[in-house]
Amino acid sequence: MPKEEPTYPFCPDETKYEKLAKIGQGTFGEVFKARDKKGKIVVAMKKVLMENEKEGFPITALREIKILQVLKNDNIVNLLEICRAKATPHNRYRSTVYLVFEFCEHDLAGLLSNPQVRFNLAEIKKVMQQLLNGLYYIHSNKILHRDMKAANILITKTGKLKLADFGLARAFSDKLNRYTNRVVTLWYRPPELLLGERNYGPAIDLWGAGCIMAEMWTRSPIMQGNTEQHQLTLISQLCGSITADIWAGVDKLDLFNKMELPKGQKRKVKERLHGYVKDQYALDLLDKLLTLDPSRRVNSDDALNHDFFWVEPLPQDLNHMLSRHNKSMFEYLAPPRRRGPIQQQQGAPGAGPSGGPGGQGGPGGVRPAGHNPDQHFERIF
Amino acid sequence: MSESETRVHFRVIRYIREAGLKLHLENVPVATASTIYHKFFREYQLKDYDPFLIGVTCLSLACKVEEQNVRLRDIINVCYRTLHKNKAPLEIGDTFWQLRESVTQCELYLLRALKFKVMFDHPHKYLCHYLKAVSDWLEPRQWEEVPVGRTSWALLCDCYHSDLVLDHQPQHLAVSVLYLALQCHGLELPVHKHAAVKWYQVFSNSISLEIIQTIITKIMAAYDVENQVPR
Repeated sequence: MPKEEPTYPFCPDETKYEKLAKIGQGTFGEVFKARDKKGKIVVAMKKVLMENEKEGFPITALREIKILQVLKNDNIVNLLEICRAKATPHNRYRSTVYLVFEFCEHDLAGLLSNPQVRFNLAEIKKVMQQLLNGLYYIHSNKILHRDMKAANILITKTGKLKLADFGLARAFSDKLNRYTNRVVTLWYRPPELLLGERNYGPAIDLWGAGCIMAEMWTRSPIMQGNTEQHQLTLISQLCGSITADIWAGVDKLDLFNKMELPKGQKRKVKERLHGYVKDQYALDLLDKLLTLDPSRRVNSDDALNHDFFWVEPLPQDLNHMLSRHNKSMFEYLAPPRRRGPIQQQQGAPGAGPSGGPGGQGGPGGVRPAGHNPDQHFERIF
Repeated sequence: MSESETRVHFRVIRYIREAGLKLHLENVPVATASTIYHKFFREYQLKDYDPFLIGVTCLSLACKVEEQNVRLRDIINVCYRTLHKNKAPLEIGDTFWQLRESVTQCELYLLRALKFKVMFDHPHKYLCHYLKAVSDWLEPRQWEEVPVGRTSWALLCDCYHSDLVLDHQPQHLAVSVLYLALQCHGLELPVHKHAAVKWYQVFSNSISLEIIQTIITKIMAAYDVENQVPR
């Protein structure tokens, strides 16, 4: 190595930006709001955690960079550049890397936790249309997001929706695969992952889209399990018992016999959500997104063609509604949301706040009620 | 680039490929490692770096980029053994940990130096498509008797000994190795002489015979370097 500090013609130093505030905790690092000292543009900087890396630069971060360099779409967060920080004793002589993104004012979880923010039906349609459009784009590029949740859906002040946090994303192929099933935040995790499927596909992201869509009305996550077992129970209570009759081949999944699956449950997606969602088309699309069998779950293309988006009221820009709010809303900065709006079942096994995030671990662990900035996530392949 | 530098780079790429083979890597990750290596030394001076350390790091980075699940520990052990054929295998100890630390540091350095642009569109997939077409044009017996596929694939992998891979489109490289392989085997595609559009133009409309000849000349030059380097 040369003795003098070399110049990196291609990689700017982080001092180019001035940090303004911490706005979030991603899968592999903290996120800051920052301002370009020269151009004065506001950006989001995501720090890549590297202290615990025995294998060098984290493959998850490299995947995110690789994926974001390729994906360029209105509904995908835009990676502007990558910055570095000098190695100092403070970071054990390991220089830090920042991903610099265009700044988005809000995230969906933050917006939903603020009762002042109200979405009408046409605006909900616009949110879902943009979300599905983003999914359609990444899935056509053979990328799985694997961490769909309201906090990862960013919305600019002009109402443009961007899928963010590709820290768990990866490329997929149509051949038989063995991916890790320890992905997706528990509350948004589809039944196939909970049952140990390792050869999954884009349908996992559409389950999350369904959970998020319902949340547009319920205002908090619809199935807040404490453990994988509990999550499966909640899913069965909403979507009906998981059996080989309605989902061919489910009995072949690794955990099908190891998990306790409630029997004789009727599917009540439309009934249970009817209290919140009055629109018949919305209920029908929700029903199709929250389909247990991943091979029969609606894909993003068909979802975009659903009547929901094509009957009055048509999707309407969020620009106007958001212009009434001039404060950034991020889940990280918001007070914890009220728990369990539609899950009133008593005595579900493992239920109750005392269950704690037992046995979760991994990036898909239970979202903590508060935030824990020091939380480290297990690195996985 | 001076002749002696060319020879150093040739040896390092040969080393990367040997280690890659022992690690059971596929051809594309090895191609990525070689491309990262050449790209790095286009921008930076050989005298400032240990090219073998850069080589090992390129290999480790390429494994991540191409989703080849290989542990850094294995890469270090295999590369050490490949470089030091007469020494005992590496034991867990200070040397191992130092080497490992060097590679992880160097990995960051490479990423920053290359602006995190470590994904490449390689000629391999294009060559596969072209070979499929050629196999349909030829008589089945001809295709079976003459190993055009294997020869062109080997030529392609050998291209990476030289930094010529940075200067040409992947489609052009694929066509050129195919052209060279057909020539080596004295094989002519049916009605080639009478066709208004040459077969290689079918694969890439921006290619010309001049480009093909330029690339082939560079490939031949790379084989010449091999003769100047000790085994």
